[in-house]
Amino acid sequence: MTQTNGATLARPQGGPAAAWQAIEEAAAGVVADPENSKTAARLLGGLIADETARHGVRSFSESVAAAHAEGLLDDGLAAFVAAEAAALDALVDEAADDRFEYFGLRTVYDRYLLRHPVTRGVLERPQHFLLRVACGLSSSVGEAAELYRLMSSLAYLPSSPTLFNSGTRRPQLSSCFLLDSPRDELEGIYERYGQVARLSKYAGGIGVSWTRVRSRGSLIRGTNGLSNGIVPWLRTLDASVAAVNQGGRRKGAACVYLETWHADVEEFLELRDNTGEDARRTHNLNLANWVPDEFMRRVEADGTWSLFDPKEAPELTDLWGEAFDARYRELEAAGRYVRQVPARALYARMMRTLAQTGNGWMTFKDAANRTSNQTALDRNVIHLSNLCTEILEVTSDAETAVCNLGSVNLAAHVTAEGVDWARLRATVRTAVRFLDRTIDLGYYPTPEAEAANLRWRPIGLGVMGLADVFFTLRLPFDAPEALALSTRIAEEIALAAYGASADLAAERGRHPSYGETRAARGVLHLDHYPASPVHPEEWAELRLRIEATGLRNSLMVAVAPTATIASIAGCHECVEPQVSNVFKRETLSGEFLQVNRYLVRDLRRLGLWTRETRDAIKTADGSVQGLPGLPDDLKALYRTAWELPQKALIDLAAARQPYVDQGQSLNLFMAAPTIGKLSSMYAYAWRSGLKTTYYLRSRPATRIAQTTVPAVRPEAAAEAVACSLENPEICEACQ
Amino acid sequence: MTETMLLDPGMDLTLRPMRYPGFYERYRAAIRNTWTVEEVDLQSDLADLARLGPGERHLINRLVAFFATGDSIVANNLVLNLYQHVNAPEARLYLSRQLFEEAVHVQFYLTLLDTYLPDHDERVRAFAAVDHIPSIRDKAEFCFRWIDSINGLSRLETREDRRRFLLNLICFAACIEGLFFYGAFAYVYWFRSRGLLGGLATGTNWVFRDESMHMEFAFDVVDTVRREEPGLFDEELAAQVVRMMEEAVAAELAFARDLCGDGLGGMTAERMRAYLEYVADRRLARLGLPARYGTANPFAFMEFQDVQELANFFERRVSAYQVAVEGDVRLDESF
Repeated sequence: MTQTNGATLARPQGGPAAAWQAIEEAAAGVVADPENSKTAARLLGGLIADETARHGVRSFSESVAAAHAEGLLDDGLAAFVAAEAAALDALVDEAADDRFEYFGLRTVYDRYLLRHPVTRGVLERPQHFLLRVACGLSSSVGEAAELYRLMSSLAYLPSSPTLFNSGTRRPQLSSCFLLDSPRDELEGIYERYGQVARLSKYAGGIGVSWTRVRSRGSLIRGTNGLSNGIVPWLRTLDASVAAVNQGGRRKGAACVYLETWHADVEEFLELRDNTGEDARRTHNLNLANWVPDEFMRRVEADGTWSLFDPKEAPELTDLWGEAFDARYRELEAAGRYVRQVPARALYARMMRTLAQTGNGWMTFKDAANRTSNQTALDRNVIHLSNLCTEILEVTSDAETAVCNLGSVNLAAHVTAEGVDWARLRATVRTAVRFLDRTIDLGYYPTPEAEAANLRWRPIGLGVMGLADVFFTLRLPFDAPEALALSTRIAEEIALAAYGASADLAAERGRHPSYGETRAARGVLHLDHYPASPVHPEEWAELRLRIEATGLRNSLMVAVAPTATIASIAGCHECVEPQVSNVFKRETLSGEFLQVNRYLVRDLRRLGLWTRETRDAIKTADGSVQGLPGLPDDLKALYRTAWELPQKALIDLAAARQPYVDQGQSLNLFMAAPTIGKLSSMYAYAWRSGLKTTYYLRSRPATRIAQTTVPAVRPEAAAEAVACSLENPEICEACQ
Repeated sequence: MTETMLLDPGMDLTLRPMRYPGFYERYRAAIRNTWTVEEVDLQSDLADLARLGPGERHLINRLVAFFATGDSIVANNLVLNLYQHVNAPEARLYLSRQLFEEAVHVQFYLTLLDTYLPDHDERVRAFAAVDHIPSIRDKAEFCFRWIDSINGLSRLETREDRRRFLLNLICFAACIEGLFFYGAFAYVYWFRSRGLLGGLATGTNWVFRDESMHMEFAFDVVDTVRREEPGLFDEELAAQVVRMMEEAVAAELAFARDLCGDGLGGMTAERMRAYLEYVADRRLARLGLPARYGTANPFAFMEFQDVQELANFFERRVSAYQVAVEGDVRLDESF
């Protein structure tokens, strides 16, 4: 690559085209020097300021007025900002833009800043955008200031729908929707398509179960015909989801859940294959298995598994735990199954789908229901998770589960001395209050979603930047200290979140369905686990408080993937290890390179950050394990997700689970998966008590030839080595 | 008895003992990366196309026209000229797989052209590019010259025959797949670096991955032949390779001038010339030959190709999945 040097990075003259070229050149130099990312971000900040100025926008209040005049913002928000213009304008911290890396700011510019409907130029600067989001969720300048400061310091960010829509005329603020399976009838199925489309239109991710719909070959009484099973319906869903474009900002996305006993499960697992009849494939839908414990037990015992037609066994969908096990065995003993398969044959098929497509996520029905605060009564059942497998909430035909998400950036709460616990708790308290606020302010595209959300008031507070914490404190992911710290972080967050929700309940009342929860019966989420908290006395005190006040929210913690907001915040995603020390991100706005800045700092200190080192890391696909001169402890610290034992990731997630009352979007990584390794890994995840897992990431079997590192004829390379070993005195490599 | 060499005339059918297990491994790896055209979503490209200026639109139309015929030429040479002379069944397995991949590429560019050019007459003109657009015709003529060079040979009897075979193989690997296609990919990635034509870029990623493997296989064959017949690749052949590379750079540069006109933002014929020279040097280096140009890579965005991708699934389909997985259910393996 061309080296980008400082000289070319001066503020460009000659209009936007020249400005863009300077920005892109600086951005392309990120691998050579991560500081180029900040440089590119500053150049982009200048370009944004020029663009807003062309629309007459300089201050925050001008930006809100301009966007309101174009019909983009809510009248109430515009009136509030106009009335408090001076106080709000004074809150804007222009210097906060310097915290953005280029990728973060570019994402904000491309997708989040409000644009003029005709010129398509941006009408707000990045800080205006964050303050506008804060004002959309606040009723006073003081509240707006509190949330704005958290966001502008990148300590906390709400999820994308809230960032997209807060303060707009249609404030759909929720990230995800979970729809129960359509009833087993034509009208129910078409009604569900309509609901999915409406929810998807306003930037929500969709999870939908299909377990209640009869399987292939089942009799249709009305016409005396035989059903074609679920695949044709899912094809229609696939087309419908692809057609909905979320306001041009991203494509619609949905995940379909199917219980493992459904007789169409094998065809379901083939929906994403890229071979076979295209009429039986869905290229856009994500797939997840909703797995009962009974299935995993039979896999362990190498037993038989019976597949049922939901028309013949409709009750199975609404049962879990021992009630499910008993009924399943009864139906099986009565011979009411469609057919039987070896449990391990089906499990192997699931593993193959994971390896081939990354899809077919393993989520566990009984763990999800057994530990949920919402399932104290038999009639309240969790039937599925969501698009990213971190939300677990009850659904029915009348209730579409909703979740409002936000994530704490752990990287902003750590220094070399450790985690700032007081600050972390303060961030969580503020975050919970504003997440709770989104429930009342949000626009709900369907009545079923509104009904559920107002009754249960669940929120999903998550984290991002755990890898940054570990890098800062020099803890490899598989160190015992890392496990202890990660678990403590989860506990502190849960304590603060539950406390804040109890306070809100005291102020504004408990959520309407509180009486149906386990908390109302004195059971908190961690009671389901053999957990040994760091702060037992605080938990005891919290228990007493909840007894008195109740809770404002039925669920509070969920570890979401944070793909986009972690980019904005410039930290590693959620609880994930790094994928590579150098990698590119592909998004709708193009590609971006990222370098592990912690590694660069260490290499600089060691005098190893050279062109050769960069090429060596790129040649090794982002690994530093073969890098000469790098001490072993740093090699261990900078292992990539491909090099870490996956058992460590599962152990971290399992230890955190008592404090995460919903699920975790846990990705697992295996460069060259085999059925044997995968089946061992997912069985371990299940035994560890995880409620859900997410993508299996694997690597392509072949790769693109690299173009920007030196090309060598392999034999020439081999000759060079041989030469240096045999003829040290004449070998030029030794000089 | 002496071992059969890779370019000895004949049709060896013996797979065991296998003489070139590396070729067989390449065949198996290729199968694990099967992709189909239906997986590429070109919908968002249509909106982007509508936003392109006339110069950019001209570039894209020409580019698509080149792609539409380029892979067919490669496939033809593969099956008509190369296959019959490679005397190892495991190597021919790979060539069979390569032929399939070239067919998928042709199908991809056909689908692309049908999507990008809704007008029937325009499509017909695009496919006729090889006949009436001089810059594309020149490239095709360059290809045909080297195809013809061994077209009449049914057996590689003499040393001279085998040298002609090598030249053809190197032409296709280093000049056509390794330079013409690489040049074309650079235009695609230039668009993508500006957030445009993501569907084309996704398909191109997969084509690029396949082409990289084709090139590596061909260079493996060249290395093998050089090892088996040390004198074959002599100074004279090296000089011919360099001349061929110079001709290829010139043809591709003429194409670049046609595509870029007076220049489009960061994409100009001059920068393309530097890129082509840089790539040509890399191909020569791979053959153990000294650099001919000594030019640096002007396109920083090509660096994106060298590092892992981490796509946000909301945005794009990720292209990193394996197809064949093996083994049985076990509950006690380490992971």
